[in-house]
Amino acid sequence: MASDQDLVVETVREILTGHEPFVLTAERPWDEGLWSALAEAGLTGVGLPEEAGGSGGELADAVAIVRTLASGAAAVPVAEQLLVAGPALVAADLDLPSPEEPLTVAVDGTVSAEPSDDGDGPGRFVLTGTATDVPWAGVAKHVAVLAAAPPGIEGAVLAVVDVSGLAASSAVNLAGEPRGSLVLDGVGVPGALLTPAQAAHVRARYALTRAVQISAALEQVLAWTVQYAGERQQFGRPLGKFQAIQMELAQMAGEVTSTTALVDAAVQALGRGEATVALAAAAAKVRAGEAVERVAKLAHQVHGAIGFTQEYRLHHLTRRCWSWRDEAGTELAWSRLLGEALVAAGPDDVWPAVTAVV
Amino acid sequence: MSSNQLTLAPAPPSEAAERVRLEVREFLAQELAAGTFSTHVDTWLSGVDPEFSRKLGARGWLGMTWPKEYGGHERTAMERYAVTEELLAAGAPVAAHWIADRQSGPNLLRYGTEAQRKEILPRIAAGECYFVIGMSEPDSGSDLASIRTRGTRNADGDFVVNGAKVWTSNAHHSHYGIVLVRTGPPGEGPRGKHQGLTQLLVDLSLPGISINPIRILDGGHHFNEVVFDDVVVPGDMLLGTEGAGWHQVTAELAFERSGPERFLSTWPLLAEFGRRAAATGDPAQLAVLGRLSSRALALRQLSLRIAAALDRGELPDIPAALVKDMGTTFEQDVVDEVRRVVDVPASLDSPDPLGRALAESQLHAPGYTLRGGTNEILKGIVARGLGLR
Repeated sequence: MASDQDLVVETVREILTGHEPFVLTAERPWDEGLWSALAEAGLTGVGLPEEAGGSGGELADAVAIVRTLASGAAAVPVAEQLLVAGPALVAADLDLPSPEEPLTVAVDGTVSAEPSDDGDGPGRFVLTGTATDVPWAGVAKHVAVLAAAPPGIEGAVLAVVDVSGLAASSAVNLAGEPRGSLVLDGVGVPGALLTPAQAAHVRARYALTRAVQISAALEQVLAWTVQYAGERQQFGRPLGKFQAIQMELAQMAGEVTSTTALVDAAVQALGRGEATVALAAAAAKVRAGEAVERVAKLAHQVHGAIGFTQEYRLHHLTRRCWSWRDEAGTELAWSRLLGEALVAAGPDDVWPAVTAVV
Repeated sequence: MSSNQLTLAPAPPSEAAERVRLEVREFLAQELAAGTFSTHVDTWLSGVDPEFSRKLGARGWLGMTWPKEYGGHERTAMERYAVTEELLAAGAPVAAHWIADRQSGPNLLRYGTEAQRKEILPRIAAGECYFVIGMSEPDSGSDLASIRTRGTRNADGDFVVNGAKVWTSNAHHSHYGIVLVRTGPPGEGPRGKHQGLTQLLVDLSLPGISINPIRILDGGHHFNEVVFDDVVVPGDMLLGTEGAGWHQVTAELAFERSGPERFLSTWPLLAEFGRRAAATGDPAQLAVLGRLSSRALALRQLSLRIAAALDRGELPDIPAALVKDMGTTFEQDVVDEVRRVVDVPASLDSPDPLGRALAESQLHAPGYTLRGGTNEILKGIVARGLGLR
């Protein structure tokens, strides 16, 4: 990323040095100490406007924080808060919970919203149903829920739910990160009606966020693997001196560099508020997911058996990447959405449609 | 990460490039409607059409980035990128001028004498003068520095050239070659053979040159063997510095390896497949279209970053190697991925345009990952960028 973000990256790295990644368990599903340190430094509100209670700063700053935390396998809901739920609430003119309390997002499940008649005026909804695959369920204090709009109304309802008193199921992803469900049984909450395009934008942000995390994590995986290949000696020389290994590392570098280039471009499109950002996010998510396939496989191959153990660091990132590529919409779902959009302008206009994406 | 040599800054958006893109699109639509060309895959190798090249020259779309005093148009590499990308995506016949516009011209600008530039560059920009690359030889492919073609100075200071070059695309339609020859002995050590190499600007009509066709898998005649038998190349046709040929070739490769022709050779197949997916609405086909497009979009971003770096005056040869490795792999994968989700046999005689596009793409496919440096050589360069060599 641009050098403007160097300072924020440096700050996050310093904080991270005191918080090594660990194997997540039901007893310790997240890094609460790391969250506190980040919140204390004001980093959990970056990119969110000061008048809404955030710390101010640019999208690029928030992305730099998320990238740095992703490459450090940090078990905190910062990506969801800074890049998805926070901006979505701000855009919908909903009150942002205190950035010091973790906020997450829920876009899947069966939650529907009805206008509330609790007497608190407009902008209140009653949510009913189950929100599934909720990142950091049981950890986050608030959830921005994307719920089905009342019958007859197009679009969706974005609502802010305080999860106090709600039980979360204990499901986790391949890396042990909480991904449980929340049962909403007629909960009255503040919310806003979104157009279909606005709702699609929230989903796109979520997908692009996972792509950002993947691209940062894969850069780190490549760096670790290059480093390992330089240190590990077999047959009297470092692994990295063998042509077969060099080919594998070069292939990894190609995947990582391609992914980062597209993800960066999609983030810039988001920053410019371009209408095609949903397709840019779709493309970035699909490309990042495909890169995970090859990069994680080759990283483990080069690392050999040590990389297959829980005591070695590699799995903190490869297991996350294997999960993140499926989250916020699978590659198949986003590939289809992109393919459908590319032929929508007409069967002869696929190329112009592609060049309009980013 | 340790791969800073692989990472370039993102390309800033270019309104000028988007403007010229639309102009090219309109021009191509008119030409297609008028029937002056039909779409094929891999047309930067196989689509020789001097009249089409002259039309592009007349519109100012060749030599775009060169100084006006040499017939150029002083536009950005980003604008040139948009023009080349549109021509390739449409499968337009651009092979005649491609090498001259892409790398021979820039090579002359960088290393040529004033007389060479004045004489040749305006003709390239007009779409009238075509070049071949004289690098590979029958016994020297990936190991380029092992070439045996010799240039020996005679009493008049001219070079007497003997040897043979192969895979010289469209030499039978071209006017000049930039030919790498050995003019001096190699030095000591593993990289010693990089010394003593020289680039010569060779008029292909000189006595002693014979051009013999080498047919590729579909029977097409694009490649040639160019044999030099005591060819006297005037001393003032030395390109750049005698003995610095290796360095000059390396610089040329940043232009040769990074352009959109390194991932769009099979785009006309993907476009035809897009038509099919639009017609069937088959979710599996649409998903493949989306997936392949996401790869193309990533490759575009990489290639655009290189165009922007060229605008900054850099010669990013290592990122160029990476783009070419990734891009040409994509060109081949397009064939594999498409054929898995369509019930259409590949045949040049197919009544179905998709069957013909599959056939053309398949028969040209082995070349994508060989020409301009094999993907194994390219990965070696990337490994060097990673600090492994």
